[in-house]
Amino acid sequence: MDAATSRPAVVIDNGTGYTKMGFAGNVEPCFTSPTVVAVNESFINQPRSSVKGSNWLAQHSAGVMADLDFFIGDEALSRSRSSNTYNLSYPIRHGQVDNWDTMERFWQQCIFNYLRCDPEDHYFLLTESPLTAPESREYTGEIMFETFNVPGLYIAVQPVLALAAGYTTSKCEMTGVVVDVGDGATHVVPVADGYVIGSSIKSIPISGKDVTLFIQQLMRERGEHVPPEDSFEVARNVKETHCYTCSDIVKEFNKHDKEPAKYIKQWRGIKPKTGAPYSCDISYERFLGPEVFFNPEIYSSDFTTPLPAVIDKCIQSAPIDTRRALYKNIVLSGGSTMFKDFHRRLQRDLKKIVDARVLASDTRLGGDVKSQPVEVNVVSHPIQRYAVWFGGSVLASTPEFFAACHTKAEYEEYGASICRTNPVFKGMY
Amino acid sequence: MMFVTIFRSPGSLDLSLSLSLSLSLSLWLHGWKYKKINGVCKSNSQNILQASLKNPQLLLLSVSLPTPPSETVFFGGLPLGAIEAIKAAYGVLVQILDPPRDGFNLTVKLNLSKLPPDEEYRHALLVKIASVREVVLGAPLRIVLKHLASRTVAPDIGQLVALVHRPKESFFVVPQTEKVTVLFPMRFKDSIDTILATSFLQEFVEARRTAGLNNAPSCLWSHSPPLELKGAPVEALSANAGFVSFVIFPRHVEGKKLDRTVWSLSTFHAYVSYHVKCSEGFMHTRMRRRVESLIQALDRAKPDSEKTKKSAQSRSFKRLSLKEARSSKNL
Ligand SMILES: Nc1ncnc2c1ncn2[C@@H]1O[C@H](COP(=O)(O)OP(=O)(O)OP(=O)(O)O)[C@@H](O)[C@H]1O
Ligand SMILES: [Mg+2]
Repeated sequence: MDAATSRPAVVIDNGTGYTKMGFAGNVEPCFTSPTVVAVNESFINQPRSSVKGSNWLAQHSAGVMADLDFFIGDEALSRSRSSNTYNLSYPIRHGQVDNWDTMERFWQQCIFNYLRCDPEDHYFLLTESPLTAPESREYTGEIMFETFNVPGLYIAVQPVLALAAGYTTSKCEMTGVVVDVGDGATHVVPVADGYVIGSSIKSIPISGKDVTLFIQQLMRERGEHVPPEDSFEVARNVKETHCYTCSDIVKEFNKHDKEPAKYIKQWRGIKPKTGAPYSCDISYERFLGPEVFFNPEIYSSDFTTPLPAVIDKCIQSAPIDTRRALYKNIVLSGGSTMFKDFHRRLQRDLKKIVDARVLASDTRLGGDVKSQPVEVNVVSHPIQRYAVWFGGSVLASTPEFFAACHTKAEYEEYGASICRTNPVFKGMY
Repeated sequence: MMFVTIFRSPGSLDLSLSLSLSLSLSLWLHGWKYKKINGVCKSNSQNILQASLKNPQLLLLSVSLPTPPSETVFFGGLPLGAIEAIKAAYGVLVQILDPPRDGFNLTVKLNLSKLPPDEEYRHALLVKIASVREVVLGAPLRIVLKHLASRTVAPDIGQLVALVHRPKESFFVVPQTEKVTVLFPMRFKDSIDTILATSFLQEFVEARRTAGLNNAPSCLWSHSPPLELKGAPVEALSANAGFVSFVIFPRHVEGKKLDRTVWSLSTFHAYVSYHVKCSEGFMHTRMRRRVESLIQALDRAKPDSEKTKKSAQSRSFKRLSLKEARSSKNL
């Protein structure tokens, strides 16, 4: 085979909030950077009529320069903060690519400026959310093959990769429910032998960003003195460093009230405008933040089904012969499952629901028939935060991966429609 | 002693620093634990970093270089002067293992306990380690340019020196006492890339003529092989995007400028191909914008009655405006 198959594949997991990128075979992504592009849009909305005569050329090339003037990731954030020529554009919304222009530019910078590799020399593994439309895969294929001339491309479904991530920690198990709680989307996805059971996917409109917003709101309502332009970032930081999952909300309130010294933390920051230091308290939001997954009604009145109930519904709607296996392997993935004791709480609540159902059916059937207890197992592993990327890294380093990819030759022969489907390959099951 | 692989990077384009490698190094320094994953270790992956389980201060860095074409001479699997260049760049920090690990051109043992305590200097050194490929592959070029700075010609070096920079591809250097000519045959795989690169290079040469760049090395582009390449083998002279030549004078390699010049020359091909890809992306942006505006014009031209109902006609544009397709599906 060609030289590209002997080089490690590039694995990029584009998420709503963060993009994880690196090379196959590594344990960690080389870079994790916010999925955001700062674009210079000062020339886009100029009416054509105002451009006249000799000025035209100057205007035109200024427009060209503006189009080429952009930054991604952390640099984008800091540029947009320090100057107002740049507007932030988030190419991905709720797990779906929303703006292909900025997405293309984002990939370009990822490849050339972060990973610093020649895209013609590497196979690529990209990821997508389970609800992505095939058109979007075609578009991705077009960009990858036309702009970057990649020799081969595979677009994997995120939860399948998350399952594959467990591959090395436990034994090879490609049946399970993946609970992927990222920044912009939460999906509960049952997978059987590497195939997603599409009809049973459940989505929840609450994800990492909502937790941040909720914490921001709690802190604002309590009257903490956080500068408004900073408050979202502070809330996110508080969430990532201090939040935990409690077992009982009422008891937790009592604990906080009895021993404030132990539970109430301090946040110190510097006002971005004046440079003056400030500090504020962090108290109930430490456990109320993650609680929105278990008692959504404290945050939104539209959606009130707790996460464990959604998982249970999801498994109940899957084919009956897979259900036991699914209960046995519930895998967490995504940054917002990182709260301390998140998996314990999930396991306990889910077990409660299942046991109640078993008990109910036992009493209905009378005392003679006893159903076998259902094993509920929520798996949490250390690389949960990057599970999707890590799974990609593992799969893309198997020889079968290269055979499963769509190649540039195939693309040129059949067109972008080949990217609509991506075969499940050995190593996935 | 047992070593486990903690990092691999391709280093295909990156002669230059693979930032990620330096990142990985510093993570390792800060006590991160790496776990081995059961991937197959491919013999031809480009850079591999391995750590000893017993002594975390010891790392093995193995590098495999692009296969040299016939005209390039390697000494013991390495370009001319590579060993000296490594010793000069890293000093006591590294020890070259002879022979290198299987399937690699070079293996060095890094002893992290010898890293300087000063944070800034330490970081600079880590970055330097990450750019080991540039040190190795650029070694002959560095020798030639160093001699130019002192207006001499390196002795045991030919009239036309071939330097490998991509698999089975090399660029050429013609050393003289007063100037050094560097010639790049430019090759691209894709036909669109070739055309874009050709016009990019023509513009590039044109841009050199502007007043502000008088001090830059002079630069020429031609479709046919320049005279200097007369002695080169035929395969080396097939280049679908023409030939670029730079003339480097002693003033370009004085003192600190030497490093920068070597760097820019070693990464020239990557520079061009990066700009080709950027222009493609840029054109796509423009094309999308144009299509959007044409669709808008079409929409405006529709009679009112059609606007209200979702006609089959508007469906046929669905590939062009994805957003619309999505919103109608309510995803
Ligand atoms: N230690 C942590 N504790 C709690 N939340 C965290 C932690 N680390 C990161 N997060 C949150 O996780 C989210 C990012 O997760 P992730 O990178 O999995 O999302 P994504 O892949 O970008 O989004 P999606 O999968 O929805 O498209 C952010 O909201 C971030 O604030
Ligand atoms: Mg994700």
